[in-house]
Amino acid sequence: MTRLIKLLSTALLALTLSAPALAADSRVPLPEIPKAKGEQCVEPSDMMRRKHMDYLRHQRDETMHKGIRTTKYSLKQCLECHAADAADTAAAGHEAGKEGGHFCVNCHQYAGVHIDCFQCHATKPEGNTAFHPIVTPGMQDVKEAHQGSAAMLNQVAGANGDKTGAAQ
Amino acid sequence: MSEQKHPDLARREFLSSGAKLTVAGVTLASGVTLYTAAQAKPAEEAVTSKVRWGLLIDTTKCSNGCNACVSACNEWNGLESKGRPTTDAQWIRKVELKNKSTGMSHSLPVMCQHCEKPPCVDVCPTGASMKRADGIVLVDRHICIGCRYCMMACPYKARSFVHEDLENQRPHQPRGKGCVEACNLCVSRVDGGQLPACVEKCSAEGHNAMIFGDLNDPTSAIAQAVKQYPTRQIREDLDLNPGVRYQGI
Repeated sequence: MTRLIKLLSTALLALTLSAPALAADSRVPLPEIPKAKGEQCVEPSDMMRRKHMDYLRHQRDETMHKGIRTTKYSLKQCLECHAADAADTAAAGHEAGKEGGHFCVNCHQYAGVHIDCFQCHATKPEGNTAFHPIVTPGMQDVKEAHQGSAAMLNQVAGANGDKTGAAQ
Repeated sequence: MSEQKHPDLARREFLSSGAKLTVAGVTLASGVTLYTAAQAKPAEEAVTSKVRWGLLIDTTKCSNGCNACVSACNEWNGLESKGRPTTDAQWIRKVELKNKSTGMSHSLPVMCQHCEKPPCVDVCPTGASMKRADGIVLVDRHICIGCRYCMMACPYKARSFVHEDLENQRPHQPRGKGCVEACNLCVSRVDGGQLPACVEKCSAEGHNAMIFGDLNDPTSAIAQAVKQYPTRQIREDLDLNPGVRYQGI
């Protein structure tokens, strides 16, 4: 019985935490969080919500000063999964490449927290996705339809025109 | 992902594994030799002072009109001209020298000289301008305030200030307005066991005027070359002991 309650409450929590579901029902506007590739982030989601900035900052100093280039907490690795996919962006009612599609920007804009990362850092993995370890089925379809078109791939990979980040 | 759709994957895998070998030179095809820096250090390992990265430039092999190293640098690091040469970022420049009395002329690339005692690091008020344990001098843009003190301190005029908003930066080389930057010996490539972009291009073009490697490792090509041939540092009088050395000047 306890197990059932536990299961049910976990399911309920998962539902409450899924933003699009809430956004439809709630009177309070909520951020649209684009779906990421893969099942699980590098840490549990609650840890990522609270501590992603610490992980990133620690990694940044390790990389800059000591040349440690592990990918687990690197910003480049974030974008491998979190750079917006064209299908998701379209589903959210946004034109591809506009601010609506970016995982980091969407939430930071909502929270009113300015991020400077993307003034310097690329907002998407580099050009030819053929060399990326993860290619979603959606991207694969588009790739097949537009073979050899690097510009198209860039667009699909979620170019974010607004490079200055959130909270203008 | 079938082999047919991505025919170059196997080749790329071969190339990237080739880059991690300790072999000094791997012949890829007739006339094309891939020289590798050293074994790639494990990603989780910090750089140490056991390694001292250096660059040896043979000015007798560097030809006058050639700009391959400069364009390779621009391409790899995403340095795009804004059409304003006075403020465009420049990490390498070609310098032409001429002895007026004999008429003998040289052409040589000049970039950050990666000094052992870098004046840019001495003057930096925030610690952004720094030297890594392995001798690479670079700017931590996260803490650079853009005061440009280092630019004034550098006797080689190696640094550039980014004056304008940038877009489409390369993922491996973040850059942005308001920071000072310079050659970092392609630090992300070197950490991965690859050669700097300029060195790779120079040998791909068949000039082989640049040797990159560990000056502390007596078996490396660069250590053997500096032992065998007379080489010079620019402005030796300043006693900064740059990691970049020149042969033939």
